[in-house]
Amino acid sequence: MSAVPATPSRSSAAAAARADLLASSPHYTTTKRHSLYGTEDRIIIDPGSRVWKVGFSGEGRPRDVFVVKHTLSPVPTSASGVRDSIDEVEKERLMELELQDRLRSVFFNSLLADPKSRKVIVIESPLLPLAVKDMFARILFHNLEVPSVSFMPSHLLSLLSVGRVTGLVLDCGHTESTLLPVYASRPMFSNIRTSPLAGSRLTSHLRALLLLFASYRAPPTIIRAAAQPAVATRVPEEILTEALVEEVKAKCLFVGSPFDAATQPENDDSMDVDQPSSASTGTPSESGRSSRLSMSESQAPSSAASVSRASGSGVGSDSSFSTQEIHLRAMEELYKKHATATDIQMRVVPPPAHAVAAGSFNNARGTLTIPGWIRERAAEVLFEGGDIDERSVAELILDSLLKVPVDLRKTLASSILVVGGTAMLPGFIQRLHAEIIKTLESQPHPPASILSPRRGGQSTPTPSASGANTPPDAVTPTAVRFQHRQMIAPSPRRAYDPYATLRSIAPHIAILNNPSITNMVGHASPHALANAGKAPAFAPALIPWVGGSLAGALKISSEEVVRDRWDEAYERDQDAQRQELEDLAINTVTIEPETASPMKSPRKSQLRYRPPPAQPVGASIILEGGGLRPPAYSALPDWTRSPLSVGAPNVVWLAQQQSVPPV
Amino acid sequence: MSSILYHCTCTSASTASNVPPEPTLPSSAFAFHPLHALYFCEECDLVRCNRCVSVEVSGYFCPNCLFEVPSASVRAEKNRFRARADIFTTRCARNCFQCPHCRNTLSVVPSDPPEEILTQPRPQTTTESIGEPPFFLYCNFCRWDSQEVGIVFEKPTGLALQLQKLEDSLPDSLEFERLKDHFEPLLRSSSSSHHHTQASHHRNPITAAASSALARDVPGLHQPIRGISGRTYSNPKPPARANAPKGWDDWDSVIYKSRLEVAGSGVGIRIESELDWIKALDEGHGIGRVAEMEQRWLSSWTQSLKARQLQPLRIPLHSKKTKRCPDCRHILIKPEQKAQSVRYKIKLMAANYLPSIDVFVPSLVPPPPSGGSQLPKSKVKDAEDNGALMMQPGKSYPFQMTFTNPLYEPIQVRISVHRAPPRMTSGDAIPHRPPFGITLPSSAFPISAFAEAWEYEDDEDMFDEDDLEQMLSGNSSGGGLGLGADSRGGRGSKGHVGVLERKANVTRVGGEVLIGRDASGEVKFNMQVSYTYRAEDSAADTTSPKKTGKDDPAAAGEMKTFTFFTLVSLGSIAPKADTGSGASKRDSASTSAR
Repeated sequence: MSAVPATPSRSSAAAAARADLLASSPHYTTTKRHSLYGTEDRIIIDPGSRVWKVGFSGEGRPRDVFVVKHTLSPVPTSASGVRDSIDEVEKERLMELELQDRLRSVFFNSLLADPKSRKVIVIESPLLPLAVKDMFARILFHNLEVPSVSFMPSHLLSLLSVGRVTGLVLDCGHTESTLLPVYASRPMFSNIRTSPLAGSRLTSHLRALLLLFASYRAPPTIIRAAAQPAVATRVPEEILTEALVEEVKAKCLFVGSPFDAATQPENDDSMDVDQPSSASTGTPSESGRSSRLSMSESQAPSSAASVSRASGSGVGSDSSFSTQEIHLRAMEELYKKHATATDIQMRVVPPPAHAVAAGSFNNARGTLTIPGWIRERAAEVLFEGGDIDERSVAELILDSLLKVPVDLRKTLASSILVVGGTAMLPGFIQRLHAEIIKTLESQPHPPASILSPRRGGQSTPTPSASGANTPPDAVTPTAVRFQHRQMIAPSPRRAYDPYATLRSIAPHIAILNNPSITNMVGHASPHALANAGKAPAFAPALIPWVGGSLAGALKISSEEVVRDRWDEAYERDQDAQRQELEDLAINTVTIEPETASPMKSPRKSQLRYRPPPAQPVGASIILEGGGLRPPAYSALPDWTRSPLSVGAPNVVWLAQQQSVPPV
Repeated sequence: MSSILYHCTCTSASTASNVPPEPTLPSSAFAFHPLHALYFCEECDLVRCNRCVSVEVSGYFCPNCLFEVPSASVRAEKNRFRARADIFTTRCARNCFQCPHCRNTLSVVPSDPPEEILTQPRPQTTTESIGEPPFFLYCNFCRWDSQEVGIVFEKPTGLALQLQKLEDSLPDSLEFERLKDHFEPLLRSSSSSHHHTQASHHRNPITAAASSALARDVPGLHQPIRGISGRTYSNPKPPARANAPKGWDDWDSVIYKSRLEVAGSGVGIRIESELDWIKALDEGHGIGRVAEMEQRWLSSWTQSLKARQLQPLRIPLHSKKTKRCPDCRHILIKPEQKAQSVRYKIKLMAANYLPSIDVFVPSLVPPPPSGGSQLPKSKVKDAEDNGALMMQPGKSYPFQMTFTNPLYEPIQVRISVHRAPPRMTSGDAIPHRPPFGITLPSSAFPISAFAEAWEYEDDEDMFDEDDLEQMLSGNSSGGGLGLGADSRGGRGSKGHVGVLERKANVTRVGGEVLIGRDASGEVKFNMQVSYTYRAEDSAADTTSPKKTGKDDPAAAGEMKTFTFFTLVSLGSIAPKADTGSGASKRDSASTSAR
């Protein structure tokens, strides 16, 4: 219960202020800052790509948490381009209308609050597209007429909610895992790292596994009930609704500890086996799959990912499925050996066709049996590294540590914070820690691997059990290969070991909200031990929201956009846009390519191949503006729009200093 | 089947002409609303919808006990119970709880009386309705009771307050307050130092930034020996620096000590043990013991995975909302304050201003089942699947629209199909055109004023089924009423088009749709409706001059015209002839579903 331990470093002045604060009555804070009408609380919106968290600042938990159907991603651009531009405008309009409905529902159904008197803090992911940000601002200002909006980076807020301003924050959400180092409250945007290995990938992977390995018993029918229980069959695709898969994910899955088989390198020449075949055929578009395939121990995980990819997109030819099935079977072999979890039975709604045909009872439920190894090992997909485009969560952290200034490494390495909904999986954080340590402490590859420079990207020791059946499509696009060469260049003599420089900091790795630190004792440095697991036990999924609530209560925020300022900029832009539309009407054909180009969302290209982090990722986002859709309003601050200023605290600054006229 | 929706201009406000989106576009679904969901602002003379009105909360009430919580008390409560404000502002603060498992309302039940009382019958037991002291919450649906999580009450009333003592000590709120206490002094000191540097910032931002960057504490630079632990733990600050933390840079030097650490004795062990627990879940019924994500995610504190640890939930309050016009701020809807009342003090519904329209296609209405209830429902469904109730390509169908006038004045209505200018896509040179043609009566037709039922004359007799037949055959007698003089002008060549029937304040007009040869999908079109009415003098006084001047300046409030758009959907077109194959059947089902 006592406050911060009296450390010599703490100033007497601060200590005095603090003691003073603690001595005062519990009503101190309420009487000081909250007016009678209580409208000074800001509204904190954490719009996740799948789950939204909304509530008032100053409260310890959100008022409402709900799932949204459509993710807030900008419209993906089809390759055909021009013809779609009107459809895409339409899609964006649709997205805005849906967002408007949702925001209105937040205010009127969830929070029961009057938006006109509430300042709003929107917690933004650093790569939230500006178009979406504009959309938020447009709706909040025009439709809901809030007095001010500020966007705050979720990673920084996450740190606030564990009482810090420095750390390496991994946000493992639904669409993406995003890693951002923050030092002294300044997000180091140039070192941002993202990976699509996150919740939705896990969902599609789990779905593929369930389809193949789970078994399903139809509900007993009138005829059969007397005779014998229904035969277990493969899972019909219809019963695996999105809701059901999510339920399995939320209720059955957990993350097992890393298994040992992977740590014994069996045949290192698998690299050589891979090499010729990979060079032979293939298209660059398959890069993601190929690098996974070639690295992976049994090819199974990667092919599982591709199965899930295929099933996710709804495309999957039968011929390809059979090979994927082989890979999945190989994976089953491997994982089964390393899983101890029990099988689980679930009652599921039978597919409508079966129910009618079998003439069963109306409310009869089929039984879905989920093998234990799926429960324990489905989340392996998040920890499989080696793909340059789809870094595992552990690799994200290590990559980022490689990039940050050397003198910050130890500090950041021992204050890793894991947030996000996917991190809620039991055992996720423990596994992540183990995985980082494993990667750092494992032996680098023998020099043989130098022959295949493109293999260098993989860091996890990955023996190949079934390297013989190398898929024909294993190939590396030139871009990736080029990057690898770059990476490999400095150390031509040694086995490629990307994390060699990081090995010394292995003892310093500490995850702030790691619930189990017992196995760290003995290996870890005292500083790491002093940090690991010392964060308050907030749920990872809600840590950013709690941080937002805290920031709102403390009246700190990033740059606030006031409504007047927005309106001004909006008017200006509207005029410009009208002018543009007139031009467009005059000569449609010549302008078409230009109108199409802003619609090409930069996100898509980032997913495939992110630009080298030395240059801000957002540089490409600046493309927007102009064209058929409302331009990006200059009133909205964003780190991708303006150069990061040096020195002065640019992201979090004190709203108290601002001369914002009270609205 | 066929339906009609009304347009609200809010979604197309960005376009200059307030033109509704094309019916084929998906965003059209957001622009059109059923008439009963629309409001009408008299000042602006515009339809308003739920997407554009500005909403104010005029009162809160509990949907379970209907206890009405005035806004002022919500605010006061919120300030009193800061840490747990969510309980007292959007949750019922009396006795209402929800079952954490099935969301059913929980009831308060007394404990079983002790054994000895049961064995010896006492006459008083019936009158003692309160029961024995340890009260608990019980779910009548799933039989959960709060004793499972150790929640019992001394008395059966004021449960929320009794529970609050428990909840006040919840770890998340305590931790949150502690975090605030941690940051507040830091903020204060850094803000005061900020003031000092303010001047230099004004002088030259570049040099200020540079100097601040130079002055920043680079770890390891001041004291090279200082290890990582020194930074945060026991290392004294460099003497050159001021004592107090200056800004965000120095915040790291003050370590926050969590009240309950995630790896702390209690929490960490629980999390670890639950990992083992979920690993060894019971095969048959284990899944039921894991809490749903929805049951867990509201808690910002790491919560147990076990379903039996779930706490009862307070019932969220509902609110009564006042809605205002977004432009002129006039109230459109104002409910009565009392929670029990479902009436409104002010209610400006569009249904009272715009004629309501019903549309149906006579040939697509399923025939009344001759066999009564013997016909199974699946057969009707089959008929729909087979396209019996769909329009066939290449044919034309008459349809009827019934206009009902809610106004106390007779109106003249003019309808027309509103076609968007052809799309300017360069991809396909041919502009997108609907695969069907619509014929509507081109001239205005009248609708009599709304009146109470007994005020109408006996003119209903004029139109019965025979008359309808007559009219359909082209020999109309529709001009029987005073205002129907020009109704014949709108007659189509085939006789389906035009005024079919007039009765009281209802006029039925006919139209025709011609389906193209290779048409598919839905038959939907935007219809522009404008009606002219003679405003009463008294009404003219109250309305704004803007409104009267807009439409007909010469008449100065005499005749007024209001125009709005509707989205008429007549049904879907049956797919092409090869309905025999299953594939096309499925296609048709999917298109109609779309």
